[in-house]
Amino acid sequence: MQRVSMYTLSTCPWCKKTKKFFTDRGIPFDFTDTDLADEATQDQIMRELDAMGAHGFPFVRIGDQVVEGYRPDVYAKLLGI
Amino acid sequence: MNIESRKNALRHFFRKVVEPMGFKFTPDTELAEFLLDQEVKLEAKHGICFCPCQPIRRDRTRDMQIVCPCIPFHRKHYDAMKRCWCGLFVHQDVTDPDSLPQVSAKELGIE
Repeated sequence: MQRVSMYTLSTCPWCKKTKKFFTDRGIPFDFTDTDLADEATQDQIMRELDAMGAHGFPFVRIGDQVVEGYRPDVYAKLLGI
Repeated sequence: MNIESRKNALRHFFRKVVEPMGFKFTPDTELAEFLLDQEVKLEAKHGICFCPCQPIRRDRTRDMQIVCPCIPFHRKHYDAMKRCWCGLFVHQDVTDPDSLPQVSAKELGIE
């Protein structure tokens, strides 16, 4: 199984849906609620988003692929499920 | 601050702003309530109604581009999706907001 990690916001309903997608399928994942992180972590996340040309959350990494937004169809395809 | 009265004020103000741009509140009332709740909380914390689904960067120029309703700053992107990023607003002809996925501007070839 590919490693799954994500940057999210505690205020974002699509981020909650994204976490639920992986939780419901028993797929382990790491996440950081960016707005609840310290400033140094926030700055690092913003640099990562800028480097990928991303603007919004959720920002999901599946293996070496990244997906911006709540995209269950894309998550499933990348995971082969 | 009374959250419900502030939400009502935002509904009134936002409607006047987004309708001339061809948008309306999402028909998904549960989603709209949640998002407005978050915006009122963000306003209480930061003094501004930021989008709940985009990052505050502590960079005034960029942060002003995610003040709700942020449609004018992302017009091509949101018109292509027929919704704004958080989904609080959709095009006026939309009746099934669940059919409109979040698609990044990069994926749509915008910007």
